[in-house]
Amino acid sequence: MTEAPRTETELIQLAATGDSDAFGALVQPHLALFHNGIQRILGNTADTQDALQDALMSIHRDLPRFEGRSRFSSWGYKICLNAALMVRRSRVRLHDMERAEGLAIGPFDERGHHTEQDRTPEWQEEAQAHQLVERQEMRECLTRALDELPDSHRMVFVLKDLEEWETDDIARHLQLTPAAVRQRLHRSRTLLQARLRTFVLGGHP
Amino acid sequence: MTLLPSCREVQTQLTEYAEGTLPLPRRIGIWIHLFFCHVCAGFLRGLRALPGLAKRALAPPEAAPEEASRALAEIQTRLKRQQS
Repeated sequence: MTEAPRTETELIQLAATGDSDAFGALVQPHLALFHNGIQRILGNTADTQDALQDALMSIHRDLPRFEGRSRFSSWGYKICLNAALMVRRSRVRLHDMERAEGLAIGPFDERGHHTEQDRTPEWQEEAQAHQLVERQEMRECLTRALDELPDSHRMVFVLKDLEEWETDDIARHLQLTPAAVRQRLHRSRTLLQARLRTFVLGGHP
Repeated sequence: MTLLPSCREVQTQLTEYAEGTLPLPRRIGIWIHLFFCHVCAGFLRGLRALPGLAKRALAPPEAAPEEASRALAEIQTRLKRQQS
């Protein structure tokens, strides 16, 4: 006779007592989510692997304190994001330099107005764009574009536009002013929008 | 800074415009500019659509990648060692 599958609550209780199989069964359904959250912040690097291991250890350590007020996946995801932020704080940010370019997409005339208005590509309707994101190419292009952003710009974009954090919270975590957060967010969005032209705009890269 | 900003000025301030952090005269100037300039209005639509597109494109895959499963296996091994 096979054993009935355990509920998440039972798995949490067993895992909290040190049952490693229960811990595996508890985490496995959410592992892709946890890994993805960390990878979006740190990129596809060895840091992501380290942060995931740190996060899994923290999840296990804190299980006895998990009160079930939120879903386990949400609670664990927060721990994963914190682990990613901790790793990010500790690493040397060689490429985290300010960039003056990339704030606006021209060409502009001498008065700062657009030229060639008729030839400037238009953002497609969202319905079309939805179909485009199904393409693996889009994911790869966006991942590459994110990897090319300066570190703090990438962090701001991920926390604001993907994780939906408030600007003030991001500023506090990254030790920036809210104005600096908005500036970096704008640069990130502008650079990403330029990189995604082939997918979302009717124009050329 | 003139009341009616140029395309370059508008494009550099659209995130602050969307967050409502600009002074009122500048917000009005950008609003008027966007009403008449379809290129900047399209740029703003692009900025607004980007988070949704990025969220969908970078959503977690159905299955965890191999390296994530390896990390979990490593933690389980550590836990077993601690137990024994």
